[in-house]
Amino acid sequence: MKQSTTPLWKRLSYFGKSEKLNDQYERSPQDRNSEKVYRRRWQHDKVVRTTHGVNCTGSCSWKVHVKDGIIAWETQQTDYPSTGPDMPEYEPRGCPRGASFSWYTYSPHRIRYPYIRSALLKIWSEALAEQKDPVKAWKNIVETPEKAKRYKAARGKGGFVRTTWEEINTLISSSIIHTIQKEGPDRIFGFSPIPAMSMVSYSSGARFLNLIGGSLLSFYDWYADLPPASPQVWGEQTDVPESSDWYNSSYLLVWGSNLPQTRTPDSHFMVESRYKGTKVVAVAPDYAEYVKFADNWLPVQAGMDAALGMAMTHVILKEYYADKETPYFNDYVKKYTDLPFLITLDQEGEHLRSGKFLRAEKIGMDISNAEWKTVVFDEKSDGFAAPDGTIGHRWEDNKTWNLHMRDTDNQLGDIEPALSLKNHSDEVAEVSFPEFMASNREVYKRKVPVKKVTIDGKEQLVTTVFDLLMANCGVSRGLAGEEEITYEDENAPFTPAWQEKLSGVPAGDVAQIAREFAQNAIDSNGRSMIIMGSGINHWYHSDMIYRTILNLVLLTGCEGVNGGGWAHYVGQEKVRPLEGFQTVAMARDWGIPARLHAGTSFFYFATEQWRYDDQKVDNLISPLTDKATYQHFGDYSSLAARLGWSPSYPQFDKNSTKIAGDKSNEEVVQSVVDQIKSGEMNFAVDDPGDPNNFPKLLFVWRANLIGSSAKGHEYFLKHLLGTHDGTLSEQEAEKNTNEIKWIEEVPEGKLDLLINYDFRMSGTGLYSDIVLPAATWYEKHDLSSTDMHPFVHPFNPAISTPWESRSDWNAFKSLAKKFSEMAETYFPEPVKDVITSPLLHDSKDEIQQAYGTIPDWKYGKFEPVPGVNFPKIQVVERDFPKVYEKFISLGDKVKDQIGAKGISWKADEEYNLLKKLVGTNKRTSHIKGTPSLDTDRQAAETILTLSSTTNGSLAMKAWKALENKTGQSNLTDLVVERSEERLSFNDITTQPRKVLSSPVFSGSETGNRRYSNFTTNIEHMIPFRTLTGRQSFYLDHDIMLEFGEELPTFKPPLQKLTFQSGDRKPEAVENEITLRYLTPHFKWSYHSTYGDTLPMLTLFRGGPHVWLNNHDAESVHIKDNDWIEMYNRNGVVVARAVVSHRIPSGIVYMYHVQDRLINVPGSKITKTRGGTFNSPTRIHIKPTHMIGGYAQLSYGFNYYGPTGNQRDEQVIIRKMEREEVDWLED
Amino acid sequence: MTKLDIFLWIILPYISITIFILGHIYRYNTDQFGWTAKSSEFLEKKRLRFGSTVFHWGIIFVFFGHVAGLLIPKLWFDVLGITDDMYHFGAIWFGGLAGLAVVIGGFFLFLRRVAVKRIVKNSSVSDYVALIMLGIVVLVGFTNTAGYTATGGDFDYRVTIGPWLREILTLQPSQGMVLAMAQAPIGFQLHVSLAFVLFAIWPFTRLVHVFSLPLKYLTRNYVVYRNQKPYHKAKVAQKKEIN
Repeated sequence: MKQSTTPLWKRLSYFGKSEKLNDQYERSPQDRNSEKVYRRRWQHDKVVRTTHGVNCTGSCSWKVHVKDGIIAWETQQTDYPSTGPDMPEYEPRGCPRGASFSWYTYSPHRIRYPYIRSALLKIWSEALAEQKDPVKAWKNIVETPEKAKRYKAARGKGGFVRTTWEEINTLISSSIIHTIQKEGPDRIFGFSPIPAMSMVSYSSGARFLNLIGGSLLSFYDWYADLPPASPQVWGEQTDVPESSDWYNSSYLLVWGSNLPQTRTPDSHFMVESRYKGTKVVAVAPDYAEYVKFADNWLPVQAGMDAALGMAMTHVILKEYYADKETPYFNDYVKKYTDLPFLITLDQEGEHLRSGKFLRAEKIGMDISNAEWKTVVFDEKSDGFAAPDGTIGHRWEDNKTWNLHMRDTDNQLGDIEPALSLKNHSDEVAEVSFPEFMASNREVYKRKVPVKKVTIDGKEQLVTTVFDLLMANCGVSRGLAGEEEITYEDENAPFTPAWQEKLSGVPAGDVAQIAREFAQNAIDSNGRSMIIMGSGINHWYHSDMIYRTILNLVLLTGCEGVNGGGWAHYVGQEKVRPLEGFQTVAMARDWGIPARLHAGTSFFYFATEQWRYDDQKVDNLISPLTDKATYQHFGDYSSLAARLGWSPSYPQFDKNSTKIAGDKSNEEVVQSVVDQIKSGEMNFAVDDPGDPNNFPKLLFVWRANLIGSSAKGHEYFLKHLLGTHDGTLSEQEAEKNTNEIKWIEEVPEGKLDLLINYDFRMSGTGLYSDIVLPAATWYEKHDLSSTDMHPFVHPFNPAISTPWESRSDWNAFKSLAKKFSEMAETYFPEPVKDVITSPLLHDSKDEIQQAYGTIPDWKYGKFEPVPGVNFPKIQVVERDFPKVYEKFISLGDKVKDQIGAKGISWKADEEYNLLKKLVGTNKRTSHIKGTPSLDTDRQAAETILTLSSTTNGSLAMKAWKALENKTGQSNLTDLVVERSEERLSFNDITTQPRKVLSSPVFSGSETGNRRYSNFTTNIEHMIPFRTLTGRQSFYLDHDIMLEFGEELPTFKPPLQKLTFQSGDRKPEAVENEITLRYLTPHFKWSYHSTYGDTLPMLTLFRGGPHVWLNNHDAESVHIKDNDWIEMYNRNGVVVARAVVSHRIPSGIVYMYHVQDRLINVPGSKITKTRGGTFNSPTRIHIKPTHMIGGYAQLSYGFNYYGPTGNQRDEQVIIRKMEREEVDWLED
Repeated sequence: MTKLDIFLWIILPYISITIFILGHIYRYNTDQFGWTAKSSEFLEKKRLRFGSTVFHWGIIFVFFGHVAGLLIPKLWFDVLGITDDMYHFGAIWFGGLAGLAVVIGGFFLFLRRVAVKRIVKNSSVSDYVALIMLGIVVLVGFTNTAGYTATGGDFDYRVTIGPWLREILTLQPSQGMVLAMAQAPIGFQLHVSLAFVLFAIWPFTRLVHVFSLPLKYLTRNYVVYRNQKPYHKAKVAQKKEIN
């Protein structure tokens, strides 16, 4: 192409010569080059398909446009496979937040180089020069209190300097080696959330830590996104319909889930369903964005949702079970729920209270696993029967684990369980039920039809769960001596009038909506759906709220039906290629058990929040319980650890690599038990104040732990990190724990090293000792999936990693390499590591503690037996110099066994296929001939190839395995149509591909069907993974009974004060208001992601803000956009007020997650910068979440465990005058 | 004739003119999208409407006044029969009025630029430099007219500055005229030398918009086509076809 002449020359050469065409038209002599700039604006060199690893987990496929080697912009992909005729489509997906992501790539927030805080670097360099040996240098630093304090106190105070990957990896490796040598590998922790949002990146750190024996922290429960009701009711972590299935519903109840705001790309399905006549009802305290789509709005008082749920349960039971029988409902609950199962009633003092499920063992049935087989009353044989499908059947492997109404053990053949004993009763008894009101706890008595049985020579009353539920809900049905309770009775729980007093929702509306919900279920065979979200899930008693709401979908036969059932979307958790991911991430291919810890339990002690707990156990137990097991919540953690209920790391106050010695494995196990019994060795959880038991290293990647999810943020700063903080609370003046050792001197700065891998400088980076530059979502290979849609999306690099950033995979690979090199010197011989692990769900462990009692061995009543009432103990060999080669090689353990959720199968052909697909490592010296995991791309391909949802051959094997387990013969039909498909990384890069039906999940995708959870359970009679094998209304563990949670019931939010006596409460000022503090999700960010980008900041106030009601604001003279200080004993926030009548009086919203990075002025109270949205929060652990070793209430990583709930707080708000706003800039 | 005189009245003007000409060519060729008046009307309208209108009308008259006073030899006026008194009357009253308009308009524009927050945020250094330099030159010039000539100062720039400038522009500077400049009242010296400094920075500021006055709009048709290929080439092609 000829170089064009200069603009001036062209201008002059055509000066004024314009050709007249007619009266109005002329032709200019000038060219059209000026248009080029507009044309070039949208020209680009290539388009790359990738996605966002953001924790909305919307998993939207994006086109990233690259121009001149620069990421220029992104647009939505529009090539999703069709959902079929008569359905709205998935394309296009993506929201304005996502569309702004490319801003990060070249933004000032971008971390471009490895950074270390200069205070630490100086100490490190000096120590290195002095000691000559890096491990000794690290030892010198952490063992010299003056040095350790110096760099720890500098955290969060800037001072980062550039360094090199090589230097950082040496430093980190030294700290790891020192920690393993001194305290043990279980003092090394890793935190990274939600693998579904980028599985390979999650796997990178996880695989490394698992190979060295570190502990991974769970996040789903820690984020309080886990709905514990799901494991309680279904034995399932969380399984929900994809969003397009909302369209299949004909009645949508949207409860505390702000769809347009937080599920932006999916909410159209809800809107579109309205066009075909679906009614939408919103339950929300504020006029939230989704309320405007609703036909009815139930404006519930914040936190009182369970009252509403119970009243609706009352209405459904009354109108569709008591007043008339509804065949569809009756049939459903008999087959698929525990309602027909029998419960024993125990006389305790003056109260007859419900107890345990009646077991076959108790009534003398001579069958195997009889203590695990629950019993119904069979109307056909007019006697008791133990139906197939219970957990007792599950672990017999004799094909009786299915939901057919049969009693194979007693050779009863087909049975017909009685739902109620009303027509079979020996008498009507009066049973006591606990009532939990805000101010007091009372007992109310209700009539229940019962049968008498003889157990151990004693006469005992039994009744069905259904009869208890009816009585508990106060439903009158003409039993002898029963009082008639009407909807208008405002003193009887749980009538619509009773709930109106608590929730403020008119009784008439409640009855109407409940009636419509149930009637629609009858008319549509179960297409009534409840979409629920974090608005109701982050409460302390969220599981109780959820169980009252789940009543509605279970009683109406909606669960397991397309278009019906619960639809919970909080921090989605669906790793579609599950088994492949677990293999790579947990290093299962090398066959060493992983240390997986419950995040909330860990942080409760690591940040010393247990010392400031303002709740009393006695205030929360059932009024039917005389005395709580413990007076302090922390003690329950100790109990859970020693009984093998929950994981607990660090394990012991002894180095786990220094226990085994030369002993045989059996001897090691015995010696551990002996040492614990004698007190020679102790569980580390019992003494969190001992420096030996501190967590030493914490790796955080793909997460903003400190700035975003640190509930009790200021306690993190003070105790975990040992730097400046803003807490105003004082610890309890004296010991009130029984098991946990209390010391006066509260430790500060427990952590030796906080290491953050991220592409942007977040709150976590600012408080870390080391910040390493990670690749963004447009710079690496990875996988993403979600439960919002059935596709697996790839990440592909649009550009190579810029500056010195590295993909997470390469970052941890390089650390593994350095560590292995150094380990040659420090660990030349393999090390024997003793691993404890809890009793696990979906394994035989879950039938170790029969009857759900507390077999506590500590005080001599029981003998500790590992794997029964004591953690499992395994001894493994760790060959540290081989960690790197293991990291980049896929071990062959996977050939013999791969699986999930209690079933397993072989993956030998797939393993051999992988050798060809990804190749084998050429340059390894110890491990040869295995598939290579050298690159993130290879890891991604491996995950896809080893998962049954993405590889048809494995799906066939998986369904076959489930056929063998359940005795159901036609399960492979579900995937046979796609059995030859294998979704490769190239396939999903070309176009989104729908996953295959697999027993790893509970719904079916067969025939382009929309995924809905539990449809395979319902349609193919596959049991739920619970005690009865059915969906559970009743939970009979001792701890459940202790807290009165055997049945769904109403529990109010925690009674919290803003300050306790003894706290450093700031002097009151004239105009202050106390409000309930809520942190729902924001419109212009997802947690802290996007909240710090310029495009999003410009959309709303550009800094921290809180929303409050106009009357509340007026009462303390706060006007819109005024600065306010908001505080309680946990910390202080400085923000601007948004005054709106949209918010009801009495609550304040601070949108989730407002970090401390941008436009945060100083606080007058703390004299430091105002806090994050988590400064006024803290965690409260719930003992029922620590139950273990018992059916569905057994531990699973991110499956069960105390939630890091933070909804129950109160705050004080006061106005800041303009001149009081201090930016602390000098 | 000191070195300073030579610098001020010979070297500086030529440097300045060179930069002025080459600078414009360079800027036009390399910065097509920056060749603009940088209108800030979008950000603030009210003050702009008054300040800008007054300033621009004023400066147009001032410009023609300078042409009349400096580029047209005194002889021509004499030939046309315009006496000194008539000229001075015009120069003082019309020139003074135009100058006053420039000063007032410029003052308002200046206030606007430093007081309106969104304008401040969107101003570059070159905007301030151009505005301040222009302001100084205008103020000094206005002071000469209002404070010297109008009050009866006997310095006649038409026989000193005018010829000197014409010599410079015709590339024939002479010692005599340089000496005449050196003896001019300090106000005039300042005005002239500062003006040349202004000319030197001119091409690098928004002042380039002077050369892009959209006069064409007065005569063009409603619809203007442009060819993808420039049209003289099209013509050549046409001719070829005919042949």
